[in-house]
Amino acid sequence: MRQKLIQILGLGFTALYALAIVWLYATEPRSFKEVATGAQVAAGTYQVDQKRFDAALELFRREQFRAARTEWKSADPAQSDPTTQFYIAYSFYREGWGRVYYDQDLFKQSLEAVNRAITLAPEPISVPDQNLQLHTAAELKTELEQGMERNWGDLNPLKVMRQRK
Amino acid sequence: MSEELEKTSDDLTIATAREVVAVDNRSRNQALVSYWALPTTFLTVALLGGLRVGVDDSAFIFFAPPLITLVLAVLLMLLFVRGGLVELRLWIAANHPPLRNVSHIWVLLTLFFASAQAFNSVLPERGLLHWLFSFFFLWTLWNNQFSSFDARRLLRSLVVLFGTAFVLKHLLLASLYASGGGWLQRVAGALVQGVSLGTLDAPMFAPATGYISFFTLGLYIAGLMLVANSKQQTANSRQGIQNVAASDC
Repeated sequence: MRQKLIQILGLGFTALYALAIVWLYATEPRSFKEVATGAQVAAGTYQVDQKRFDAALELFRREQFRAARTEWKSADPAQSDPTTQFYIAYSFYREGWGRVYYDQDLFKQSLEAVNRAITLAPEPISVPDQNLQLHTAAELKTELEQGMERNWGDLNPLKVMRQRK
Repeated sequence: MSEELEKTSDDLTIATAREVVAVDNRSRNQALVSYWALPTTFLTVALLGGLRVGVDDSAFIFFAPPLITLVLAVLLMLLFVRGGLVELRLWIAANHPPLRNVSHIWVLLTLFFASAQAFNSVLPERGLLHWLFSFFFLWTLWNNQFSSFDARRLLRSLVVLFGTAFVLKHLLLASLYASGGGWLQRVAGALVQGVSLGTLDAPMFAPATGYISFFTLGLYIAGLMLVANSKQQTANSRQGIQNVAASDC
């Protein structure tokens, strides 16, 4: 009986250990800190650092987009919070927006972040921030995709009158 | 006379009880080794075999086992069976309880992945050297399939095989491509690169990678020694049972 117990417990423990190894190779964390963060995400106990998030939002409103992104990345190291990823995408969009042309590289990064946000969110993201004109991830994505398209309308001189959202 | 008999009878009872306790302890320890220590050891080898440490930021880099290491692991498993380190008939049999068979299959599976990762640990990650090392491993294992081996000889052969590959990769090649070396080292590195037209290029890792690989290989060999030891103990206990049966007859 005792031997059977040892067998069952051994099988259970080593199966869990094997799953952890597969998870490590699948997620490829780069440090022990990332391992801990990943474990929190897997366990469902992960939360963004609210202080850093608020600080980033403050920087974003002062148009310090790069600094804001640095803070948001620290607030959400696992890139698992849809709202934070939405704001990161928005900061790339605002930084890349220009009256004459759009910075394609920044728009591309913005699109990656907004896609990440859409994938992470269990339901459509809606951010009730009065400072923003695009409140949903779908709207932001459409705006970015339109900005990345090339057509004859780009030559229209009246385009300099357009407004950043 | 009757007192003497009683005393002798008591002694016999005590001796039997001790034997029972010893047998019980032995079987419990064997179970702990078979169902806890062995899979845990081999899984740790599977974890660490593909782990490298980046030279710039000391970040973990996980290298999944390349396909060739799986082929090498299959050959090595065949060698284990041929060399008698793993006696498949004793490990998996129709008359065993299902749980025991499942546990043994699980140990074999962990041994397979540990073998693949042990190769992964000593194989250069890319370039011509990766294929040269793979070829030599393949050649050695293929040749060994047709040699006569016992478990002890097989273990010695594996220590030499992995030891040589470890020295070549983590000592010789690592020092050849190290960025912080002296001018002679840099000239030698540049010459090797030039002569081989850049095909001997190998990625650079932090020295910690070598230590991890050393620990991994040590653990792998220790695991194999545990397998050999548990096999020896099983053989001894079977011999003991046969002796007792013969003396009863």
